Amino acid sequence: MSKKLFTLISRVLDVSETELKDESTPESIENWDSYNGLLLVDELESEFKVKFSVEEVYDVHSILDIKRHLKTHGVILDD
Amino acid sequence: MYPVEKNLSYYMRESKKSDGNHGKKVKIAILSSFTITGLAETIKVKCNQSKINCITYESGYNQFNQEILNSKSNLYQFNPEITFLVIDAKNIFKDDFDLFYKKSIDERKKIVDEKLDEIIELTKIFVEKSNSKIVVSNLSIPSYSSLGILETKDFGISQMILEFNKKMNSRLKNEQSIYVYDLLQFYYRFGEQNVAEPHKISIGDIKIAFDYIPYLAEELIGYIKPYLGLNKKCIVLDLDNTLWGGIVGEDGFNGIKLGTEPPGNIFKEFQHWLLALHNRGIILAINSKNNPDDALKVIRKHKHMILREEHFASMKINWNDKIQNMKDIADEINIGLDSMVFFDDDPRNCEIVKMALPQVLTINLPKDPSFYVPLIQSMNNFNLLKITNEDKKRGEMYFHQKQRSDLKNKTNNLEEYLGKLETKVTIKNADETTIPRISQLTMKTNQFNLTTKRYHEEEIRKMVNDSKITVCYAQVEDKFGDNGITGSFILDSKDEKILYVDTFLLSCRVIGREVEQTIMSFIIDKAKKEGFSKIRAEFIPTKKNFPASNFLEECGFEKEDNHWIFNTSKEFKKPSIIGLNV
Repeated sequence: MSKKLFTLISRVLDVSETELKDESTPESIENWDSYNGLLLVDELESEFKVKFSVEEVYDVHSILDIKRHLKTHGVILDD
Repeated sequence: MYPVEKNLSYYMRESKKSDGNHGKKVKIAILSSFTITGLAETIKVKCNQSKINCITYESGYNQFNQEILNSKSNLYQFNPEITFLVIDAKNIFKDDFDLFYKKSIDERKKIVDEKLDEIIELTKIFVEKSNSKIVVSNLSIPSYSSLGILETKDFGISQMILEFNKKMNSRLKNEQSIYVYDLLQFYYRFGEQNVAEPHKISIGDIKIAFDYIPYLAEELIGYIKPYLGLNKKCIVLDLDNTLWGGIVGEDGFNGIKLGTEPPGNIFKEFQHWLLALHNRGIILAINSKNNPDDALKVIRKHKHMILREEHFASMKINWNDKIQNMKDIADEINIGLDSMVFFDDDPRNCEIVKMALPQVLTINLPKDPSFYVPLIQSMNNFNLLKITNEDKKRGEMYFHQKQRSDLKNKTNNLEEYLGKLETKVTIKNADETTIPRISQLTMKTNQFNLTTKRYHEEEIRKMVNDSKITVCYAQVEDKFGDNGITGSFILDSKDEKILYVDTFLLSCRVIGREVEQTIMSFIIDKAKKEGFSKIRAEFIPTKKNFPASNFLEECGFEKEDNHWIFNTSKEFKKPSIIGLNV
């Protein structure tokens, strides 16, 4: 499942999967601007069939944060 | 009903790739009162897929006022050809959107008028200062009101917006370069619950959810295609399981499904829609593998047929292959394959036509006929920026054309045929009512066109107002009917001695009937009268204008370098068969 997440992020942010790690942040990934961040939210929601709250959206500062919020919604990502 | 769209992120990714190098180019600007990022990228990608190079400009968030008012803004520097201005009620009405109830009903009405004045004024200023057409959206209506169930008894926010939209249409109806896009209908089609996502609105004032941006882009491209002359002119139809249910060769005249009961009513409905397009100027034709007698009996005699023989410009009902039939139809009605759409229910036929004739837009009809009508309703290929009289009468004209070719087949020689046609040509200077048609002719005429220069309405208008330029049109009538405005020429007299023929074109409907010589005789007479010693013309060859290649030489022009010169001291033999009115 973790693989699925990284594939999705790499596709939306247009960056190679190998560049992505849990610690990746909007600062470290060039294409991760606020607009693409929202686009990412959209794709995560439809891929994992969840709905994030506005607080959760604002609380994403790294890929790890995404994983954390997915987990709150019951999405299990086994590494 | 639209085909299901791809995600916005797909378009965002694609937009970073470079475009193909296409013949058609367009510059599009997008202005909006809310965040609509992604729309420009999607339009660009979709245009590229339709073989259009589209360069886009997007103004900043809610910056449209400043951009339009400041003549030095980036918007004017970009110099767009079509500009979309997408607005929403909350940002237009500001505090009054939520707090309208604090005002009296008279005050609310005044607010509507003031806000509308502002928007209309802006669009007019923009058209004045730019070379662009502008498409301004109307306002979507919130499906809730703080007045609750009493909204419709009071002049609440919904009623205010309805009033705004209604007045906007009527006040912009006669503006040549301003169009109103029905954004309200877009919300209606996809539903406020889907289009307006509370999260996106609160986070970034994103009023149209990402998933719906591609659908909006598709709608707006409906303005770009006709602007570039890429609209489709002709629908070619299969018969069995397309215009009626079942197979006439097997089910028989009484066995096919067409009538008031389902599923026959679906086919009747589809025919109604096709007839409506026909009345708007879309040419209809048939390409069907069938026994002609069986099929013609249905077309002529079936009481539930909506489309009859007179609605079809060409009928290929035979056992030939569909590709050859398509080519024959194109030849017969004299239009390019690239302006044709082909509807067929059989995926195999569709595949074959698609492979052999990629220029034709081939549509494989859905398995369930109830979706035929929604499918054709959603197509943005038949739009025109203006419906001219010629468009409305086109179907009738093609029927007359069929009668003309019958006469031609019955007559022994060309001269006798032309004599019997009793053709009359009327030549007049362009005016406001004929500018749209003249522009349309320059955009669409490929075959008998000496220079193939394409002019948008705004450009024609400028030339009409230029005292050194003469823009004329020719209207052709004969005993079968009025062909409408089917010819045009543009003369440039900046040089006092030599009259330059900038454009000379004739619709293919009237080629080969000595109309072209008659028009040329008019130009030569005019040049003589006005004291020009020479007429200079050009033939710029393209892939399609071969029919015009010998015309200048036949008229007595002599080649000098890249130009053709006619010495006005020479005599020109005017065709005697045709009557000329000026």
